[in-house]
Amino acid sequence: MRFTAQDLVVRYSGRGHAALEGVSMEVPDGSLYAVLGPNGSGKSTLLKALLGVLPVSAGAARVDGRDASAWPRRELARAVGVVPQAETIAFPLTVREMVAMGRYPWLGPVGAEGEKDRAAIARALEHCDVSDLAGRDVMTLSGGELQRVRIARALAQEPRALVLDEPTASLDIRHEMAILELLRSSADEGMTVLVVTHSLDLAARFADRMLLLADGRVTAEGPPATVMESAVLEAVYRWPLAVAPDPATGTPRVTPLRRSLPPGA
Amino acid sequence: MSRLGLGAALLAALAAAVVLGVRFGAVDLTTGEVLAALAGGGPEWQRQIVVDLRLPRLLLGALVGGGLALAGATFQALLRNPLAEPYILGISGGASVGAVLVLALGLAGATSWALPLAALAGAILAIALVFRVATASGRTLDVRVLLLAGVVVAAFFSACVAFILSVSEARTVQGAVLWIMGSLAGASWSGVGVTAAYTLPAAGLLLTLARPLNLMAIGEETAHYLGADVEKVKRTALALAALLTAAGVAVAGVIGFVGLVVPHAIRLLVGSDHRALLPLSFLGGATFLVLSDIVAQVVLAPTQIPVGVITAFVGVPLFLVLLRRSLIP
Amino acid sequence: MLGSRLRVALTALLLPWTVQACGPADDARPDGSRTDGGPPDRSAGAISLSDADGRWVQLPGPAARVLSLVPSATQTLAALGAASLVVARTDHDTVSWAQTLPSVGGGLQPSLEAIVAAKPDLVVRFAGPQDTRTPAALDELGIPHVGIRPDRIADALDAILLLGAATGRAAAADSLVRHLQAGLDSVRAEAAGREPVRVAYVLGGDPPWVAGPGTYIHELLELAGGENAFADLGSLYAAVSVEEFLARDIGLILTPDAGRLGARVAAGLRVVEVGDALEFPGPGVAEAARTVSGLLRPGGRP
Repeated sequence: MRFTAQDLVVRYSGRGHAALEGVSMEVPDGSLYAVLGPNGSGKSTLLKALLGVLPVSAGAARVDGRDASAWPRRELARAVGVVPQAETIAFPLTVREMVAMGRYPWLGPVGAEGEKDRAAIARALEHCDVSDLAGRDVMTLSGGELQRVRIARALAQEPRALVLDEPTASLDIRHEMAILELLRSSADEGMTVLVVTHSLDLAARFADRMLLLADGRVTAEGPPATVMESAVLEAVYRWPLAVAPDPATGTPRVTPLRRSLPPGA
Repeated sequence: MSRLGLGAALLAALAAAVVLGVRFGAVDLTTGEVLAALAGGGPEWQRQIVVDLRLPRLLLGALVGGGLALAGATFQALLRNPLAEPYILGISGGASVGAVLVLALGLAGATSWALPLAALAGAILAIALVFRVATASGRTLDVRVLLLAGVVVAAFFSACVAFILSVSEARTVQGAVLWIMGSLAGASWSGVGVTAAYTLPAAGLLLTLARPLNLMAIGEETAHYLGADVEKVKRTALALAALLTAAGVAVAGVIGFVGLVVPHAIRLLVGSDHRALLPLSFLGGATFLVLSDIVAQVVLAPTQIPVGVITAFVGVPLFLVLLRRSLIP
Repeated sequence: MLGSRLRVALTALLLPWTVQACGPADDARPDGSRTDGGPPDRSAGAISLSDADGRWVQLPGPAARVLSLVPSATQTLAALGAASLVVARTDHDTVSWAQTLPSVGGGLQPSLEAIVAAKPDLVVRFAGPQDTRTPAALDELGIPHVGIRPDRIADALDAILLLGAATGRAAAADSLVRHLQAGLDSVRAEAAGREPVRVAYVLGGDPPWVAGPGTYIHELLELAGGENAFADLGSLYAAVSVEEFLARDIGLILTPDAGRLGARVAAGLRVVEVGDALEFPGPGVAEAARTVSGLLRPGGRP
């Protein structure tokens, strides 16, 4: 599955400037693509426009060559699994019930689960390593466990692409790594994975390509090596940075510097 | 508890409640007399009691109780608020204004249909008003605005009722209070027919929205990504639940507690899957109201206690027991 | 404000109840009585009654089994010698002779089953909008009913005539009414020569609830040589401040229950407890007028 933006302009009504100003990019099929940028740079807006949720003021947002808003809802749900930034769950729900919701776009009018559906749910639970949590109430899970369950739900849709908005925010190292390894292996198996994240280092380690946004515009795009340049990053994040290869992994790593050095440093 | 198990139990309970209500009432009749009356024989006054008074009242209780509980479950899902109940959007307020106006203008008279018609019209206007306010911000229905608009509109109508009553004579006030308190006493076969005409199709349609409502419990954004037509589901479910409530209030006044507590009780027993929650709420509400009404008529016969009092007196302890059981594994 | 689609939807939604309302009404009962309020039918033996709601009710013959939901109507029936026709009462009927009769509950929300079980051929209820469910149900069941108002002296006299006509005791009713009017006239005449006494009828409470113009008690007071201290009250009954009370220079307080009077209200004033004798007008209006007149006479005793 390919996601494409062409001179995309998205304007929220009532705001002066546009949230996205002439953004052009393409997520190649089967890659892990990371979108980064400071707060308010338009990352989530780009995601929503690519999914056809936000109306486009100018330019185009396409999924597999077709206009994003032209995709029938159900068809898109069968093709793309989305894990939004946050969800508030209003009522008690078990893990299995939540993952089973991923089958909604595939179920017939009666809504009864068939053999295929049960198998897809089991596979998704297994893939995300949450099978033994199946009977638990989702509200009793830790942040990391809940995130894996939400990804399992998206996988239960048996999509050709996964879109995640900040999937590792507020997760500890172990859970963060587990999720990124999961996303990387999915991409290796042919899934297109589009991720919005704050973590430059992890994006540099795991992503095939990165997109750097600032003020609704593209400031850099390409493989991590091209994007992880101190000059580029400093201009975007407006803070002194040093970029160097990580001794353990070899991938570029960002170190924010102190603005004023303490006496004696 | 298994869903089918609960369903079967509730069906059995409802059937038992109806049988009980036919057999026992404010006046003592023997089983033989009741059976004879059902078969069309026996003295006319016994036939009148069993066939013209008890049966319609039981059926109306089932329809109104089921409709209120189903509407309550739906509002709780749509507004994503466990405190939501059928009257939360000002429906009872609108209905009360309609009814009180008719009483104050002396139009209620001896006609049996003026009040329900006025109450229904008032309820529908209230829904329309709240709906209009909630969609004024754009094309999408914002449920938070809906909730707030409902609360405000309800307060407004409440003030309207108070105003009308403050300038009316004591008798009108008495009549208004009695009507608003809610009662199934005015049940007739024609009333049952009309209420069924509203309740059964609306309930049936609402049951088909169970799956999308499941998705909405996680959030509208996620529901959309999973393929649900969120706007359409919201508006349709809202309209149907509002209609169920309006139909119930028009014919029976404002009977509280059923729409709030029955869905929660069912949820405690079988979880939040609306494919089970919705139909079981309907059955639960029907059974609960029918049983409450029987108690209300019989316990201090011939004095009749308002049915809303019984639903609260019986419902609260029952609910607390369920709550305790669910919290202690 | 309402879009056209909404108007259409509204009309569609109201259709079932409207159809129900406009359907053919089953106005003629097999026994010849009518309950629809239509014009009277002059067939032999039929009795046409016009009740306090302005409805025309037709009975095939004099009522033989009367169910009274109004205590003053129960008393009236006894005064007409029709006590034997009464088949059931309400919880509020306190007259001793009626205690052996079954009760149908309260007067405003009576048990319909109990009503049907009493097999009445006439139900006497309160006129007005207090209870809409009972008349509607009685119509559905085909039981004739008439409404009476127990508000003023004139209402009581009308009720006597109505019930007299309904039970075939029109002559007794006429005579009773003339007797009562004579009694009232004599009280009025006797009181005319006296100085009016300022009186307040206090229901109780603090601040106290008093009776204003338009009430039965007001009529009695004006008739019996008294002056209602609160003749300028804006409604039938209202609460007034204790200061207002004390400022009005009241000569006598009448109250149904002295125990419910606030201490500040009763301070320094002559209080007479009259029970519920002056609550609703019934066949005892003349007696009540005489009682009040006696209280207002200088040095009077109840």
